[in-house]
Amino acid sequence: MSEAHVHFQYDSAAHQEATALDGMWLFLATEVLFFGALFLTWLVSRHFHPQGFAEAARHTELLIGSINTAVLVTSSFVFSCGLGFIERGDARSMIRACFVTALLGLAFITLKGVEWTKDFSDHLVPGPGFAIAGADSGGAQIFFCFYFVATVLHAVHMLVGLGLIAWLVQRARRGAFSAASHAPVEVVGLYWSFVDVVWLVLYPLIYLVGRPG
Amino acid sequence: MRQVVRPLLPVWLGLLALFAVELGTAFLPLGHAFAGLILLPAAAMVGLVGFGFMRLGRYGAIARCFALAAVFWLLVLLGLGSMDPFTRTEYPVRVTTYP
Repeated sequence: MSEAHVHFQYDSAAHQEATALDGMWLFLATEVLFFGALFLTWLVSRHFHPQGFAEAARHTELLIGSINTAVLVTSSFVFSCGLGFIERGDARSMIRACFVTALLGLAFITLKGVEWTKDFSDHLVPGPGFAIAGADSGGAQIFFCFYFVATVLHAVHMLVGLGLIAWLVQRARRGAFSAASHAPVEVVGLYWSFVDVVWLVLYPLIYLVGRPG
Repeated sequence: MRQVVRPLLPVWLGLLALFAVELGTAFLPLGHAFAGLILLPAAAMVGLVGFGFMRLGRYGAIARCFALAAVFWLLVLLGLGSMDPFTRTEYPVRVTTYP
């Protein structure tokens, strides 16, 4: 019922699944460098504009960012439980775990939307009429450029993750996964946890560093 | 259910505890020079997710090499990229006035 089709270039289903997982790790390595360029931008820009970055960080929504961190960490935990369930052949519990993970992901995106709306209404979008004036305005605008680019890129990754989870649920309902064959669940789990890791780095860079003042 | 959740629960609780430490550290009057200390709990959280949820320790040599390569090249990127801006000496431009 749930045996994966083995393509011609693989010796066995196990070989095919191991290759899929190694490939996912390679893809995540490229993603590390993709976000790494963003972290470098923060590092260098903050070096030249420490006061502007600190002032801008104090204008971010710490409560929403903190709730989102707890939500995302919990979603990774729930998805990892889902992977554990399918490893024991319990597809129904895995589907439930996927639903809870997706709900937590949607909660994250919704809170992010609320935060962006507030940022717009508080005139924190770089450009004319920017809320922070004075000598720190330039640095603060660079900070908010980083903030919007980083959070939008992260949210796009979240949306891709939600799409993948929906695909997993659809396949699991058709009986595509079993204790012996569930590599796609593991691959999506790696991606979802990676998106969590990216947020764990972004959270202090955006909300915490510079906040004490 | 218990057999699945039990090994993952300490990872989740550990992440929440580190998150609380991170949030608390942000309000300590550390000063600009020590602001980077806030990133230490974040680094520990990344490690915990990597080994707890992503189960890096269970994978074979190829996957581990990819993970190590990611960290290595990230350090190269951050190191080389920040070396020039961090060590550059900026001299003020001399203003020449003509009579």
